[in-house]
Amino acid sequence: MAAKAVTKRKWTKKQKKEALWGLFFVSPFIIGFAVFMLGPMLFSFYGSFTNYNLTSKMDFIGLANFKRMFTQDELFWTSLYNTAYYVAFNVPLTAIGSVLLAVLLNQRIRGIRVFRTIFYLPAILSGVAVYVLWMQLLSPSTGLVNTVLSWVGISGPAWLFDPNWTKPALILMKLWSVGGAMLLYLATLQNVPQQLYESAEIDGASPFGQFRHITLPMITPIIFYDVVTSTIGAFQIFQEAYVMTESGTAGPANSLLFYNFHMWNKAFVAYDMGYAMAMSMILFVIVLILTFINLKLAPRWVHYGGGENA
Amino acid sequence: MIDTSTQSKEKTRSFEEPVAKTKYFKSRKRQKKIGKFITYFLLILISIVLMTPLVWMVSTSLKPMEEIVQFPPTLFPETFQWENYTRTIEAFPFFKYARNTLFITFFVVLGNVVSNSFIAYGFAKISFPGKNLLFGLVLSTMMVPGFVTMIPQYILFTQLGWVGTYLPLIVPSFFGSAFNIFLMRQFYMSINDELIEAAHMDGANHLYIWSRLMIPLTKPALITIGIQSFNGAWNDFLGPLLYIHEEEMYTLQIGLQIFQNQSTTQWNYLMAGATMVLLPTVLLFFFAQKYFIEGMDLTGGTKG
Amino acid sequence: MKIKKWKSWLSLGITGSAALILAACGGGEAADGTDTGGDAASGDKIHLEMWSFWGEGARRDAIEAALDEYNSSQDEIEVEYVYQPWGDIWTKSLAAIAAGNPPDIIVQDINSVRQRADAEQATNIQQYLDQEEEDIQSRFYPQLWDTVIHEGEAYALPFNTDTQVLFYNKDMFEEVGLDPETPPATWTELEEAARALDVKNGDNWERIGFYPRWSIGADVWALNADGGTSWFDEEDNVKVNTPNKVAALEWMLEWQDYYGSDTINRYEAEFGQGIADPFISGLVGMRGQNINYYLSLRDNAPEDFNFGVAPLPEYEEGSGNWSWGGGFVLEIPQGAENPEASYEVMKYLTSTEVQEQFGMDSFDIMANQEANENLMEHPDLTEKGREMYQMAHKNLENTVITPVPLTAPDFNPLINGQIDEAFLGNKSAKEALDEAQASVENLVEQHQ
Repeated sequence: MAAKAVTKRKWTKKQKKEALWGLFFVSPFIIGFAVFMLGPMLFSFYGSFTNYNLTSKMDFIGLANFKRMFTQDELFWTSLYNTAYYVAFNVPLTAIGSVLLAVLLNQRIRGIRVFRTIFYLPAILSGVAVYVLWMQLLSPSTGLVNTVLSWVGISGPAWLFDPNWTKPALILMKLWSVGGAMLLYLATLQNVPQQLYESAEIDGASPFGQFRHITLPMITPIIFYDVVTSTIGAFQIFQEAYVMTESGTAGPANSLLFYNFHMWNKAFVAYDMGYAMAMSMILFVIVLILTFINLKLAPRWVHYGGGENA
Repeated sequence: MIDTSTQSKEKTRSFEEPVAKTKYFKSRKRQKKIGKFITYFLLILISIVLMTPLVWMVSTSLKPMEEIVQFPPTLFPETFQWENYTRTIEAFPFFKYARNTLFITFFVVLGNVVSNSFIAYGFAKISFPGKNLLFGLVLSTMMVPGFVTMIPQYILFTQLGWVGTYLPLIVPSFFGSAFNIFLMRQFYMSINDELIEAAHMDGANHLYIWSRLMIPLTKPALITIGIQSFNGAWNDFLGPLLYIHEEEMYTLQIGLQIFQNQSTTQWNYLMAGATMVLLPTVLLFFFAQKYFIEGMDLTGGTKG
Repeated sequence: MKIKKWKSWLSLGITGSAALILAACGGGEAADGTDTGGDAASGDKIHLEMWSFWGEGARRDAIEAALDEYNSSQDEIEVEYVYQPWGDIWTKSLAAIAAGNPPDIIVQDINSVRQRADAEQATNIQQYLDQEEEDIQSRFYPQLWDTVIHEGEAYALPFNTDTQVLFYNKDMFEEVGLDPETPPATWTELEEAARALDVKNGDNWERIGFYPRWSIGADVWALNADGGTSWFDEEDNVKVNTPNKVAALEWMLEWQDYYGSDTINRYEAEFGQGIADPFISGLVGMRGQNINYYLSLRDNAPEDFNFGVAPLPEYEEGSGNWSWGGGFVLEIPQGAENPEASYEVMKYLTSTEVQEQFGMDSFDIMANQEANENLMEHPDLTEKGREMYQMAHKNLENTVITPVPLTAPDFNPLINGQIDEAFLGNKSAKEALDEAQASVENLVEQHQ
């Protein structure tokens, strides 16, 4: 992010050449963006100021959608609250969970490849099998989770039947499938030179000390990536809630009615696509601000091994 | 992340603590043994939890429906109905759909691995004006919820005449995806610039540096992207659903849906199909790991 | 380090032109795709494409047999059947309609015909009906026909339907001394029968006589109590907090209190996904269900499983055994190229002979009244099969279809949320429905 120090006028020939190379490398993105994404994105932007219903209507109605959203739509605020709750817990917990798993799996011991494969399974397993499992694990009186809790004297909640506990249940479920992010950390950890650990061990560093002083700094670029993308992803949670609540009913007392869930209902149940597009603009702005903050905070804690170009 | 301030504070403390801990040094061997035991214990415990849905899937795939509807459910089938698998394969053109899926997946993986590696190099290692703004644009494409742009995009592909072909599923992956560009950029950022400068001194241009130096150095990252885009394409449902109009051209994920309809679900066939569809991804992951280990460390030369 | 420039340029060439090569390949495929449509059969036949979600088994065989027969019976129209996944078929249809490139006939949900007509997603077929000598309308049950009418004109033809009934375990009735041939007819009788069927061992319910909210929703009981009026009346007025609906909700809350939410939650956790079946497993004595459930019993229950079917009990004597149903229609999407030919195919598919055969094969309750009447006495069906059609035909007299109200299509989460609050004990039935009424009225206002 330091490139802006370069003065804009008076380019040397070398700088010019370098800039052309840069544009050359990013050109596929520019072309792909212009062809496949720019149109639909501009269309959605314009659509948010209309009563677009996909087939017969697209009249400009100014800010009416936004006004309705903030002043009349009860479920808009419910969905925003549910989503914010989910993001606040899901993002840090999955980041921590996947780092820990990756460290656990980054060992050269017998059978590690089998373990890694098993740990990655939840990332590729989805749908019914997983849902059935969780319904049973979280069953209030007979489920494994509450049974274990009862051993330590805790009377577990009704999980998916109690609106106060549906979101924690979902967060727990998502935590279970951190295999995807784990894979990224695992890939990064391959690049940490083994000698570093060996010399630290000779110095008597504890495993925790090694983790904190060697491993952690090396993986900060990927933690940063993970946090930024999973924040964006978590704001768009939809599928899990849709599958988990029978016939898309959004959970007891609408406790799993997430932002995108509500948007889906507006777009594909009510055919009120203009309104859904307006909702997506608000989400865009929220996520944009959070990402911007993330980018600004990054230099304080992300360590790139690459040098000044970072 | 949550507490960036404490983290940076801790870093300044450096290596003071380990010195105090030298007294443990003697018992290190025993400690290692205990550590190993704990590791295995944890790994096996978590594995059991993670395996349960798979066990349920496979077990259901071998039961007759009469047994599936009974409560309490049996852990292992009382009667093994192996023909569920043959019936699933016969219920729709399984191998044809597998070929179609593989065809799409092959190009999507190729496109993703090549294009994202290429594009991200430009963002990570070359400075040019407007780079930050452009990178912001990359990130912003992730922020618009997919189903708002879904219909406009469909209209776009209709106008291009691509609907009814695999093109809408394949071609965009050759132009990079925001998640992968970002990921690759992060990997490149960890690579020492000195390497590149040295290559420049020798007269190498960026294309050469990218293809000859960077690709081998980022192998674990490329494999990660490869695995993830394989899974994405292999399991993609919405894409083929929208864009493929002929049953001849359907994919496995669409084929599997035939066991679900408005009143009943053939759980045994559905799970038999799902198990067969899952198998390639599991095998791929198992074998691709080998190349992880053979990856190189960034500070020194090659190991493999 | 020696630079092999040509090699780098080669690799660039591969990268950059991959997309172009692909485009060329794919282009070829595209041409293939459209070709098969065009020259599939003899030159000037009209080629139609029909989309539905019948993917395998009896329904698929039935529709393909019907279309094959149609294709060979004349030489002007050729219909091709294309399977689309259940549920997602409508997302796909919507995209295709929005892009102006839809198929010719789609099997659509019966409840949203008006909504699609209003949004110009469906083609008006009134002109074709007006040209007919035959009264097409009279083929169908009247409430099904009502769903396809928007502003006085027709936009679809009903294809099949269903209705909610009470399934009960006859052996269990006998075991506890109830007459297996006289199922409960009122809510009071239902409660009495349930109490007789209940088995409790200490604190543990080993058998549940009946619980109203399993497989059918609170909305069906509310409608049953309120003389067949759902959340909206026929003029789309909001009727959420009527006294009878409040009474129905209170009644359902009593059931929950009786068994306790722990028991109910446990059952829902174990059976909610619809895999293990508590009725077949003998854990539940009676169960309100879609009549289609017969198929599952026929295929999955033990041979000697002895069950009966009855209309949903009525709220009080004389209030009527009101029930709720759904179904599917045949619809021509807006923008289809040959609406007239498509209409001909739809007419054929809703004719008595075709409907009767489809019902024979699939056990669906058909939209064509005469077809169902024939099936009631059909010699090729089992006795149980005929009994189902008799039951369905009778029940359809009291079955209400609840089309999506144009004024508030997405009202469901608002009402469900409030009903949940009542079941959680946070609100009384009256409070919950009053608030739901206000919320839905607010939604209606937003749409004006």
